[in-house]
Amino acid sequence: MLTESFMQRALLAALFLGPAAALLGVFVTARRMAFFSDTIAHAALAGIALGFWFGFFNPTFPMIIFSLVVAAAMMWLKSNTDLLTDTIMALLLSGSVALGIVILSLLEGRRGDLHRYLFGDILAVSWMDVGFAGALLVAVGGVVFTRLSDLTLLTANEDLAHVCGGSVARLNYLFVVGLTVTVAMSIRLLGIILVTALLVIPPAAARNLSCNLRQQIVFSIMLGLAGSVGGAMLSYPLEVPCGPAIVLTCIALFCLSLVGKWQLARRAFR
Amino acid sequence: MKAQNSPCCEHAGETAVEVRDLRVSINDRQVLQGVNLSVPHGKVVALIGPNGSGKTTLLRALLGLQPIASGEIKVLGERRIRRVLHRIGYVPQRLVLERSFILSVREFLALRMRSSRNWFWKTRHQIDYLIGEALEEIGVGSLLDRPIAQLSGGQMQRVLIAFSLLEKPELLLLDEPTAGVDQPGEQTFYELIAQVQKKRHLTVVLVSHDLSMVYRHASWIYALNGVICCEGPPERVINEESLKQAFGIHVSPYHHHHHAH
Repeated sequence: MLTESFMQRALLAALFLGPAAALLGVFVTARRMAFFSDTIAHAALAGIALGFWFGFFNPTFPMIIFSLVVAAAMMWLKSNTDLLTDTIMALLLSGSVALGIVILSLLEGRRGDLHRYLFGDILAVSWMDVGFAGALLVAVGGVVFTRLSDLTLLTANEDLAHVCGGSVARLNYLFVVGLTVTVAMSIRLLGIILVTALLVIPPAAARNLSCNLRQQIVFSIMLGLAGSVGGAMLSYPLEVPCGPAIVLTCIALFCLSLVGKWQLARRAFR
Repeated sequence: MKAQNSPCCEHAGETAVEVRDLRVSINDRQVLQGVNLSVPHGKVVALIGPNGSGKTTLLRALLGLQPIASGEIKVLGERRIRRVLHRIGYVPQRLVLERSFILSVREFLALRMRSSRNWFWKTRHQIDYLIGEALEEIGVGSLLDRPIAQLSGGQMQRVLIAFSLLEKPELLLLDEPTAGVDQPGEQTFYELIAQVQKKRHLTVVLVSHDLSMVYRHASWIYALNGVICCEGPPERVINEESLKQAFGIHVSPYHHHHHAH
């Protein structure tokens, strides 16, 4: 399995993206931004389609740019209109998916691509994507750990973060950019529909096993790594798509964490 | 009613907070329409007023959280509030946290201290050593391992006070600090504030709806309703006539015979 070049690329991508997504996921879930990342993922479809339309062979770059545009549109609409956040997200999500499908169906020879992007395709991961994913892990890890106090305060209460001297607006934008790029990059492995799972399930499982934030962060990174690499490895012998395999592995880990939680509670009770 | 012996006259040149003709609009509504305020060092000053009277907006403006339309704010002698934020302690109305966010009290307190901002890499003993003073003074030592999202209203306020006092502030801003706290908890909370204020000679600006607590603990009161309707010591402001002027309706004043100050 490891001698196959596409498998090496997929495993390396999983090794980089799993921990990055799980680390951001701790704050995504606490800030109720799961639907936000889902919208970003769906927006990526339009980015991919537009990339093909403009003749890109590898649509990673246009996908990231379009996702960032949609994230910016979401933040602008939120602060400049009276629309509810849910409404804004539903509008942009359905609009992006519709645009992506229309463009893909107009392009000769690209109609079959839809399935690959919706559910993930291990073969589509290029060495450039792997390099990108590695750089992303370094960047996300670097920013989160150097600004951990500010990010934690921002998650707890924006006003307190400001009073404690944090540059709230800048950190907010940085977080959204990091999240958007992570989601867009993870689509290769997990697909548009399933990508949010990598942000939500490892932190949720880690929550079951933790007594404080430090533990949640550490466990979340470990579970994200185990879920993504484990799922990618299982998908090969089982001959199933990579995305669903990763999600199901993460869910299995979540179930184990529930058992762990009950065991911990029982021990504490005794 | 306008007080003759305004506190700024007694402590000329020693004001901790100075507000001149402050105007703030939110969504085209003029919330503050020319507010003047002066808080001397070492005093407990309360802002009272009905809902929507601009109390919280004023407090947020003092912290630089609220953009202002015109006027002047000077906090601890500085117009650029960002420069003095480290000398200000702030207690928000309440902290609403997702239950999935399992931040412990110890970790939360560590976020305030410059010396413990890299708390992730420190041991619990190192963190406890750094935040030790607040633990003793406010008595939150038994709560350190608890997730902050699971605290009761009273415990949460205690933790927020401990948090706000960690960097030894000179000025403490409290925004309805006992909203959601039961009556005995509220009393304990204000007694704690009074005790700390006296010990550290803190200046306290307090937004409150609870006239009885304000009566007991504040030395000067500003009644706000878009503008300052009246100001003065509690026994002068908390009476039927001036409350009617500030609140616009009939409010029964609270008469307390054991004024703490």
